[in-house]
This record gives sequence, structure tokens and C-alpha cells, in this order.
Amino acid sequence: MVDVRAWLLWALTVLVVASSARNPFYVVLLLLITMVVGATCAPARGRRGAPSSLRFAAVAVPMAALFNGLTAHLGDTVLLRLPAWLPLLGGPVTLEALAFGALNGLTLTTIFSGFAVFNQVTPVRDLVRLTPRAFHEAGVVLSIALTFVPQTTRSLARIREAQAVRGHRVRGLRDWLPVFIPLLVSGLERSMGLAEAMVARGYGAVSDRAQPLRTQALLALGLFVLLGGWLAFLFLPSWKGVALGGMIVGVGIIVGVLRLAGRAVPRTVYRPYRWSRRDTLVVLGCGLVLAVTLLPWPWPGRATLAYTPFPRLTLPPFDPLVGLGLLGLVAPAARMYSSHGCTHPHYPKAK
Amino acid sequence: MRRSLSAAIYVLSTAIGVLAFVYPFVLDVRATGSLGVAHSQDAPLVTAALVGLSLVALLVELQGQAISAKTVAMLGVLVAITSVLRFVEVAVPMPGGFSPVFVPIILAGYVFGSRFGFLMGAFTLLVSGLITGGVGPWLPYQMFASGWVGMSAGWLGQISNLQSHSQRPASGTGDWRLEIVVLSVFGFAWGLLYGAIINVYFWPFAAGPVEQTWAPGIGPGETLARYAAFYVATSLGWDLMRAAGNVALILLLGVPMVHTLARFQRRFHFEVHPAHG
Repeated sequence: MVDVRAWLLWALTVLVVASSARNPFYVVLLLLITMVVGATCAPARGRRGAPSSLRFAAVAVPMAALFNGLTAHLGDTVLLRLPAWLPLLGGPVTLEALAFGALNGLTLTTIFSGFAVFNQVTPVRDLVRLTPRAFHEAGVVLSIALTFVPQTTRSLARIREAQAVRGHRVRGLRDWLPVFIPLLVSGLERSMGLAEAMVARGYGAVSDRAQPLRTQALLALGLFVLLGGWLAFLFLPSWKGVALGGMIVGVGIIVGVLRLAGRAVPRTVYRPYRWSRRDTLVVLGCGLVLAVTLLPWPWPGRATLAYTPFPRLTLPPFDPLVGLGLLGLVAPAARMYSSHGCTHPHYPKAK
Repeated sequence: MRRSLSAAIYVLSTAIGVLAFVYPFVLDVRATGSLGVAHSQDAPLVTAALVGLSLVALLVELQGQAISAKTVAMLGVLVAITSVLRFVEVAVPMPGGFSPVFVPIILAGYVFGSRFGFLMGAFTLLVSGLITGGVGPWLPYQMFASGWVGMSAGWLGQISNLQSHSQRPASGTGDWRLEIVVLSVFGFAWGLLYGAIINVYFWPFAAGPVEQTWAPGIGPGETLARYAAFYVATSLGWDLMRAAGNVALILLLGVPMVHTLARFQRRFHFEVHPAHG
């Protein structure tokens, strides 16, 4: 039972570390961690068959290795030479280029695996509940869309059946016309009814109010300061400190506007989330991993995160302390505080 | 005043989005190679965060302009229908980059305007990502790019001065042909452009042959030439299928779908104002 916010932090940590580390040992370790967490926490329905990350790796790693090996003619260990007259492909095919391509495929697989776990363990409803209050209308649109997806799928099946009864068969693209247009019309008719129901429940009384001028002005100011700071950071090296400060102020103003806009939208929660010790454990685990990989420690082991197979392929270094640090990402799979699964939101027990 | 501020927010958000896409290129133009290498690992994360932030700012502005219940409901339902098409695309693999989601975004933006088009594009990719397990670091870029597809379709409708749908013929003949040709060309162009834009965020960090990869200090002309070589070698064939699919779908669905959307636009905008005095 891990909170969706903790899961989000976990997925982002996997992304950050996979993007930062280029050492295949750590990348493989990270991939194994995501697979263990997925196997432990994903609902049984999402675990049938071979893990999707392995299937993804079976395609991504060889493809990336082949593409890079055939097109990047760098490295000392030449395996074969392709004729020079072949455009792009002509030149030596090296072991190092193949290894670098495979490493890129492995990194991609790790990111995919992390987010595949995230998609499996977080119910869509919980993600929608994360929508900030400032995005009230956006949240409503999102909720309507997600609610109507199953209905639309059922409508699609019904329309296909009705057309089939009339002798219509879908063989090519053109045959979808008598299916799609009725689907569109029936969907829009339903949206008319929904809009009337929303107005009858007083929706328009709130949403017809436009954004206050002050909010708009602050938003424009925040964007202006952020853009100005970023441009200064890029083009005025001597103003780097001021530029970074400007970017932080710009981000702060935009976040402040979000809070300000959110205050105007009261929201009640029927079943509030409860933050548990296990969520704290996950956050601490992610913090440990981020600290090991991102903070500029005066510690030589951190340098082992970087690795390049060029110009000659060598065995990558491995620091056990870095490996231990990465194990912080296993925290969601730990069951020491709860006997329940990892995926269900924290609802208070019914009395 | 309100319109000026709104325009400023549009321009600034889009500028931040564009800068986020091209940020890695300018980063090293002014610096030494070593700095570029040092930043090459965190640059994708920085750009993803800033793309997300500018998207957030734009959404706050767009939804803050008094969205009516009808617009909210219609947007939600159209996003649901288009997301189901993405689900079909995932279940039944299509050739290359062919995807049926772009044509509804283009036609909705064309009929309902740029603001609706942007929201439709961004929300369609978000919802379809949620239901197909496609949430990842690529999502903000996809939302931004598909939002631009819908937004520019709205501009196309305005530029062509073809948004007075109330005066259109009921049947798909004659006057529709020019619109369908224009929309087909537009759909074809976006089929290629979408892939070209999405590639940009990772291309500076991609490994590959020298003539296809970006390096610190190369000029804009050389950058474009290398990117073109990379695009032709890796993405053109894939994106051509998307572009051709857009054209086929617009030729097939364009007239009846624009007609249907225009009919509902008239119904949704029907209001009764009581007479005063």
C-alpha cells in the first residue's frame, strides 16, 4: 500500500538515475530492481506472461546495438569493414560501437521498465486525484474523458454489431466511415446531455468566472522572468548567478500562481489519503539514491557511474557502495510495515 | 488588457517550449566542450521539467478563460473518442508511425478554434497515455507537440476564413474540396513535423555517426544538415506512414466529420439572451 505520490517520486528517481548513469553494471542493477519491484507490487493481472520489460529489451537492445554498430565507425576493435561506397554504413564496424548501442538500448529499457511498473501499480483515478486544484476545469475534462473511455468502447462495439447486422463488414479503411461517424455523433449527443446535467448542478456558476486579472498578470510575469533568466543563463556566462536566481524566482512565481488559482476552487475529499510509514520509507529510499548519484560528494566511487566503451572496450568499474545506494529503490517492495499489497490507496476502514 | 496578457502568456509559454526543445544546441555554442559534457546528462531532465512547467502555465491560462460546461463536456467526450482510437492503434499495430489520433485533433482544432485545438491535442495524448500505459518522460513533449497540432489547425481555420460553418452546404460537394485539399496538405505536413519535433529533444544526446550527430560548436547550418541526415536515416520512412495515414483519413473522414462537428458547434453555441428594456 504505497501512496501514489511516493510512486511518482520512485518513477522519477528511476528516470533521473537511468539518465545519469552510463555504467552498464549499475544500469542492469537498476533494471533488475524495477523488475523485482514490478513483480512484487504489480497486480496479478498485469504480471501475466513474460515481463514486458524483457520483451522490450529483446527488441531495443539488439536494434540499438545494430544501428549504432553499423552507423558509428568509432572504436579500436574492428570486427569487419563495410564497403566505403555504402552511404552512412560504409566503414569499420567496431565492438565498441556495438557495445555503446547496446548500452543505450539498456538505458531505454530501464526507463521503460520503471514507468511500466508505475503504470501498473497506480490506478488512473489516483493519478487524477493528484491534479492540483488550480486545474479544476482540466481535472473535470480529464475525469470526463476517462469516464467516457469505457462507454465509448462499448458504443464502438454496439455500432459495429448494428452495422454487421445490416451486412456491413470492416475490411479496409473506408469501411470504418459508417462506424466512426455514428460513434462521433452519439458521443457528442451524450456530451450535450452531460453539459445540461452539469449546468443543472451549478457547474457554470463557478466556471463561467474568468481568471482574475491579477492571476493572469502574475503568470505572465513569472513566465517572463523564467524565460529571461534562462536566456541570460545561456548567453551571458558572467551573469550565471543572477540568471539562476531569476529562473528560480520565475518558477516560484508560477508555482505561487498555481496555489493562488487553487485557493479559488474549494475541494472536498470523501476518502482522504493517509501517509504511512511505508511511504516515508519509499521517499527515504529515493532520497538515498538521488544523494548517491547526484550530490557532488568528494568520494571517488561516484565517478564509476560514468563509463564509455570508447576508444577500447574495457570492463566497467563497480563500486559496491554505489550499488548498495541504488538498492534504496527496492523500498516499495519491502513489506515490513504492512501485510497488504502495494497498490491500493489508503482508505480508512469502514465502520 | 486581459487580451494582451493572454497573448503574452501564449507567446512566453510557446517561447519557453521552443527553447526547451533547442536548449541543448545553444548550451554549448557559448561554452567550452567540457561544460557541454558536464551538462549533457542533466539537460534532458532540465528541459523536460521546463517543458512541463510551460505546459502547466499555458493550461492555467487556457482553462482560466471561462470555459463553459458545454465546452468542458464536449472536450472530454472528444478526447475519450480519440483516446479509444489510440487504444485501437496499440491493440492493432499500424504501419510505421500511422496513428488515427491526429486527424480528430486537426479537425476539432479547425472547427472549434486554436484554444480548443490545443487542449484537445494535449489532453488526448495525456488520456491515451494513461489508458495505454504510455506515461513517461516523453509525455510532456508529446502533449506540447500535439497541442501545437490542434492550435495551428485552429489558425488554419481562421486564416482560411472558413470557420463560418453555418453558411456551408449540407452535403459534401463543391465548396468542401478546397478545404479538404488544404487540410490534407496540413495533415501531411504535421505527420512529418510531429516526428521531427519530438526527435529534437533527444537528438543532441544520441550517439551515432559524426555526420548525423550534433557536436558542440557546430554552426546552425551544419546542425540543420546533420539533423536532416539523422532524420532521413532514422525517422523519415516511419513519419511518412503517419503523414500518408493523415491524408487518407482526412480524405475519408474530413467532409463528414467537419460537417458533424460544425453542426454540433452551432448547437453548442446556441444561447438565448433575454431582451432588456
